Amino acid sequence: MPTENSLTSFSGASKYVLDEELAKIVNISMALEMPLLLKGEPGTGKTMLAHAIAETLQMELIVLNVKSSMKLVDALYQYDALTRLNDSRFGDSRRDVSNIEDYIQMGKIGKSFVSEERTVLLLDEIDKADTDFQDDMLDVLDQMEFDIIEIDKIVSAKHRPVIIITSNAKKDLSDPFLGRCNFHHIAFPEPDMMRRIIRTHFSDIGKDLLDSAVKTFYRLREVGGIEKRPATRELINWIRALRVDPDFRIKNLIKGNIPYLGILFKKSPDYLVAQNNIARLRI
Amino acid sequence: MFVDFFYTLKNVGIQVSPTSFLRLQQALCMGLINSVNDFYTAARSILVKSEKYFDFYDQVFAYHFEGVEITEPDAFELSEVARCLLDEWLKEPQELARFLGLNEADLARLNPDELLDYFLERLKEQTEAHHGGNKWIGTGGTSPVGHSGYHPGGMRVGGVSRNKSAVKVALDRRYRDYSQQGRLTQSQMGEALKRLRNMVPVGPKNQVNINETIYQTMKNAGEIEIVFDRSLKNRLKVILAVDNGGWSMDPYIEMVQTLFNYSRAQFKEIRTFFFHNTIYDNLWEDPQRLYRPYAVNDLVRFDPETRFIIVGDASMAPFEIMATDGSIHIEERSGIPSYERLQFITKTFPYSIWLNPKLVDEWPYTRTINIVREVLPMFELTLDGLEMAVTHMMQ
Repeated sequence: MPTENSLTSFSGASKYVLDEELAKIVNISMALEMPLLLKGEPGTGKTMLAHAIAETLQMELIVLNVKSSMKLVDALYQYDALTRLNDSRFGDSRRDVSNIEDYIQMGKIGKSFVSEERTVLLLDEIDKADTDFQDDMLDVLDQMEFDIIEIDKIVSAKHRPVIIITSNAKKDLSDPFLGRCNFHHIAFPEPDMMRRIIRTHFSDIGKDLLDSAVKTFYRLREVGGIEKRPATRELINWIRALRVDPDFRIKNLIKGNIPYLGILFKKSPDYLVAQNNIARLRI
Repeated sequence: MFVDFFYTLKNVGIQVSPTSFLRLQQALCMGLINSVNDFYTAARSILVKSEKYFDFYDQVFAYHFEGVEITEPDAFELSEVARCLLDEWLKEPQELARFLGLNEADLARLNPDELLDYFLERLKEQTEAHHGGNKWIGTGGTSPVGHSGYHPGGMRVGGVSRNKSAVKVALDRRYRDYSQQGRLTQSQMGEALKRLRNMVPVGPKNQVNINETIYQTMKNAGEIEIVFDRSLKNRLKVILAVDNGGWSMDPYIEMVQTLFNYSRAQFKEIRTFFFHNTIYDNLWEDPQRLYRPYAVNDLVRFDPETRFIIVGDASMAPFEIMATDGSIHIEERSGIPSYERLQFITKTFPYSIWLNPKLVDEWPYTRTINIVREVLPMFELTLDGLEMAVTHMMQ
């Protein structure tokens, strides 16, 4: 097993707090060489996990941001026929016009296959693409090879990349797709976990500020009628704002006087709802 | 190893596949799993593919490895179980009458809801009193209603529900979520729905039109002239409203199920609502039609280009459609007859249609079908009907 030595090595990165459960799942998926499908609310660190794995295991991270219009072949390779046509007319480039391979560029998945080192391949927001794309892609990832039709060359993976797939659960994924992945649902972090996360971002943060900010944050998340509830990212930015504001006093938070709501609530109806509810919040 | 565990998972309704079970074995063999905790997380991530099932998984796991009892269905589940059982039983009215201690004439007089209540009461009595071996409802020898306490198939009615574990029946909750389950049998329907895709050119001009490029290049005497087109983008939005209430729709549920399964992946945006018989003030986002109402008046917020597709048999009492308070549900009293609601929908969405699982030949015999057809173009839920519906909506 080429992966044997990396089995236990993933245990969280400098800016990422990993819970034990997830660490196990990541390690098992890596050992079984299965893609890991992560679902969860926005802001629970699905994407960050891939970054953290890449950082810890010192592998290159290749990110494929899936778009709804994307075709599978875009993710594998591109044949730049236009440049070739242009070159053949003007002949002023160093590329060999008769060699089609010079005009093939690898896409994200292709790159992770031909890379000399083992890489982490992140397929972000897979649910945006249509079902055919998902199934076809899993075929490629299963076989670890694909065919470049233009030159009839089969590209097979030198190293099986560590594959992390994220989904915001907008659409249900198909059964065959799910069958080929390991699955984990990242729940929104508990306040204790959140404190640890904040501490990794602000190592010098005072206990008072940390406690009251986290407390306020969870109160605000409970406000009813909010469309997009603030997530970890918002909290971190908010704390950053609180820390740079020279006029900010922790007492204000305790009194229920919450500045910079706009950092936490990004939709105007949400903002208004939150503002109306603050008066009733007693922290 | 853990074969029982696997089957218990399967029995409670989690979709587990043999392949994933083998994979779990592989993980075990590789020495990746060294404790019960490891096993818990590993088995869950390998076997269970949706957070919807995490709760069931926990229950089964606790039952299997800690000896905790799997909880009995609560009141809501009970009523759903009862409903399912009743469905089955109604196929044999004499039996049912005998069980409930009624004669058949009395039985015929009860409407489904009354019958359900009556049945449920018997069932509750039964659940409570059963431990002593006192049989309320029974067929020779088997104890049809009773819970064995620890078994996931807690309540079952022997001989009638055909050995289907009752918790599973409860999980089935008939219409719970059409889109997830259901076999993909009527593949042609998917084909037909594909034609619903409305390709409209929008977006940037970034696609080479090869034919035009060749033509223009030739015209330019070989000077390359590249012609770009706008790329195509699928913009079709669809609202599906499905009649999932009442006994008259039951035979068509599977067909509707297939329709749902396909439609999900086909469109840019698809919203699903539920209703019973016809549309009044509210549509419902949850199949039980209990928790998440959506006011019909709010439909104006949707893009008027949205295709509004109603699926239902449109068979009901005429007053349900014409009377100002026609709904058979007491709580829906708005003063606006369903007829006007349907008109409102057609006004809001010029592309509205009604798909009827009943075949065209049967339509003339149902008055309400004719009434609905005055408002909405109606098509039958067959391949041909869908074709016609699609052509109509693309006009």
